[in-house]
Amino acid sequence: MSEPSHSASADRYEDRIVTAFTACSIVWAILGMAAGVYAAAELVWPQLNLGLPWLSFGRLRTGHTNLVLFGFGVSALIGTSFYSAQRTSHVRLFAPRLAWFVFYAWQLTIVLGAWSLLAGWNGGKEYAELEWPFDIAIAVTWVAYGVVFFGTVARRKISPIYISNWFYGALIIVVAMLHIVNNLALPATLGKSYSLFPGAQDAIVQWWYGHNAVGFLLTGGFLGMLYYFLPKQAEQPIWSYRLSIVAFWAFVYSYIWAGPHHLHYNAIPEWVQSLGVIMSLVLLAPSWATMINGVMTVSNAWRKLKTDPALKFIVLALAFYGLATFEGPMMAIRSVNVMSHFTEWTIGHVHSGALGWNALITFGTYYYLVPRLAGRPLHSTALANAHFWLALAGIMLYVLSMWAAGLSQSLLWLSLDDLGEVRYSFVDVMRAMAPYYLLRLVGGVLFLAGAVLMAVNLRRTFAGARTVPVSPPAVAVAYPAAIPALGATR
Amino acid sequence: MTRASRAPLLRFTAVLVAPRAAIESIAADPPSGARTFFGAALWLGLFPPLFAYLGTTAFGWRLGVDPLFLPANIVFAIAVAYFVLMLVGFASTAVVARWMARTYGADSSWTRSLALVTLVGTPLTVGSVAHLYPNAFLNVLVLVPTLIWSMYLLYRGLPAVMRTDAGRGMLMASSLIAYLLVSWVTLLGITAVLWSRGFGPHVAT
Repeated sequence: MSEPSHSASADRYEDRIVTAFTACSIVWAILGMAAGVYAAAELVWPQLNLGLPWLSFGRLRTGHTNLVLFGFGVSALIGTSFYSAQRTSHVRLFAPRLAWFVFYAWQLTIVLGAWSLLAGWNGGKEYAELEWPFDIAIAVTWVAYGVVFFGTVARRKISPIYISNWFYGALIIVVAMLHIVNNLALPATLGKSYSLFPGAQDAIVQWWYGHNAVGFLLTGGFLGMLYYFLPKQAEQPIWSYRLSIVAFWAFVYSYIWAGPHHLHYNAIPEWVQSLGVIMSLVLLAPSWATMINGVMTVSNAWRKLKTDPALKFIVLALAFYGLATFEGPMMAIRSVNVMSHFTEWTIGHVHSGALGWNALITFGTYYYLVPRLAGRPLHSTALANAHFWLALAGIMLYVLSMWAAGLSQSLLWLSLDDLGEVRYSFVDVMRAMAPYYLLRLVGGVLFLAGAVLMAVNLRRTFAGARTVPVSPPAVAVAYPAAIPALGATR
Repeated sequence: MTRASRAPLLRFTAVLVAPRAAIESIAADPPSGARTFFGAALWLGLFPPLFAYLGTTAFGWRLGVDPLFLPANIVFAIAVAYFVLMLVGFASTAVVARWMARTYGADSSWTRSLALVTLVGTPLTVGSVAHLYPNAFLNVLVLVPTLIWSMYLLYRGLPAVMRTDAGRGMLMASSLIAYLLVSWVTLLGITAVLWSRGFGPHVAT
C-alpha cells in the first residue's frame, strides 16, 4: 500500500482509504479465523499448544475474538461507512488526513493489541480484554472516526440522512459510550489495571458493554452495511423505507437494556434479570422487521442471481440474521438459559451470527465493492460460488455440532447421582465433547478455506490496479414539496 | 398404470435413488394433497419416532458416558410428542411455503406445497434410522449429510415443484431455510424448557 498523497482533487471521493481498510480487514479475517481454527484444534489435541504459554487456548482464543471482531469486523465497518457516507451525502470525506490517521492508528492498535493478548496482558473482561494503554488508543481513534464520519454527513448535499448513516452513526456513538465507561480502570502497571466498578456492578457494566457490542457493532453496524450495499447490489430501493426508520428507533431503544440476560442466576437483582429478558424478547420485533425488509428488497432482484455471486451471500446472511436474532431472545428466557448457559450451544449461537450474518454480509459486500474500487469485473465467479458453498457447509457443520454438543453437555452437567452429587466429572464431559470439537474444527476449516479463496479472488481482481477515482454526481438533488423521507414505501 | 395412480410413497421415496427423475415426475403431475399426506407424509413421519422409541428402549441415550435409560412411559410420551411435532412441522412448513409462494411468483396450491415439503423431508425421515442406536454423535454424523441432501433437494426441487423461475426459487428456498432454522431452534428451546421443568430426563435445575 503506497503512502497516500493528500493532494487529490477535492471533488473526488476519498476511496483509497476504503481500499486500504478492505485489504486489511481481509488479512485480519484470515489470521483471526486461522487463530480460531488452531484454538479449536487445541480442544481436540491439547498438545498442539506445544507447551508455549502464548499458544495456550486462553490466550489464542482471546486473540481470535479480538482479531475477527476488531480487525476484520471493525475495519470492514469503518471502510464501508466511509464509502457509503460519501455516496449518500454526495461529498468527499471530511478531513481525509484524520481519516488516514484513523486507518493507521486502528491497524497499529490491532497489531500491538494482538501481540499484548498473546503475551498475556488481559484485563479479564470478555471482548474488552485489551489493557488500558490500548483502551486509550482505541478511544482516541474512535473519536477521530466519529469526527470524520459525522463531518462528512454534516456537509451532505442531500437533505435526508440516509438510513445506513443512522445505523453507522449509532454504532459510533454507542460504542464510544460503552468502551469508555466499561474500561474505566485504575492502572497499576503498563500491562495491568483494575476496574473502577466493584463486584456485581462490574459484571453488570461489563455485560451492558458486552451485549451492546453485539448489538451496536455486530448488528447495528452491519445493518448500516446492509442498508447501503443491498439496494445497490439488488438495484432496487429498500422495500419499505418507513419500516427501516421505525425498526432503527425500536432497535436503538430496546437493545441497550438486554445485557443482564448474560447474568441469569447470578448475584444481581432478579428484577434486573427480568428486565433483561423482557427487553430481549421485545428486540425480536425490530430485528425481524429489518430481516423482512431485506428479504423483500432482494425478492425483487431475482434476475440478478444468475450473474451476481454476491447476492447469494446477502440472501443467506439474512437467513442467518433471522436465526441468530430469534435464537438470542429465546436463550435469554431463564428456563432455556439454565440449560444453555456456559455450554457449547452459546458458542454455536455466537457463530451462527458471526459466520452466518457478519462474515457473509461482509463477503457479499466485498464481492460487490472490490470490482468497483478496481474498475474491473471480479476475477472469477466460479471461485466466488465455490466460496459460497464452502461457507454454507462450514457454518452448518459448526452450528449443528455445537447445538448437539451443547444440549448433551447441559444434560451431563445437570445429572446428579443418588447422593445428590454431580454424576460426571469435568474430564468425563470434556471427553464426551471431543468428537463434536473435531466436527466443529472441520466446519471451521471449510469456512476458513472459503475465506482464503475470496482473498485470492479479490487480490487477483485488484492486482496492479489503482483505486478508481470517482466524483460526486454533478446534478443537484431535487425534492418534492414534502421530502419523502418517511414515505418512500414501495 | 398411470404416473398419478402409482403409490405416493413410492413416488416420493424414489427421490433417494433418482432425485432428478423423481422431482420431474412430481413436478409434472403431483399427487393430490390428501394422497400426499395420507399416502406418504404420514407414514414417513412415523419413522423417526418409531426408530427413536425402539433405540431408546433397547440402548438408552448415549451422550459419550454411561447410557441413560428413561422410564418406559416417558420414552413413549416423548415418541408421541415427536410424532405430533413432525406433523406440526410438516403442516406449518407447507403453510409457510404457500404464503411465500405469492411473493416469489410460485404456485401456491396445497397440492404443490405439500408435495415440496414431503419431497424435501423424505431423506431426513429415512436418515432417522440412526435413531435405532441413539448415540448422539452417531446421529449427528448421519443426519448432517442427510440434512445437506435435503437442502440440495430443496434448492433443486423448489423451482420445478412450485413452478417458478430458478432465481426466484433460489430466494424462496433460502427464505424457507430461514423458517426451518428458526423452527429447529424453537424445538431446541422447547426441549430445554421441558427438561428444566422436569419433563424428560432428570436434570438438577
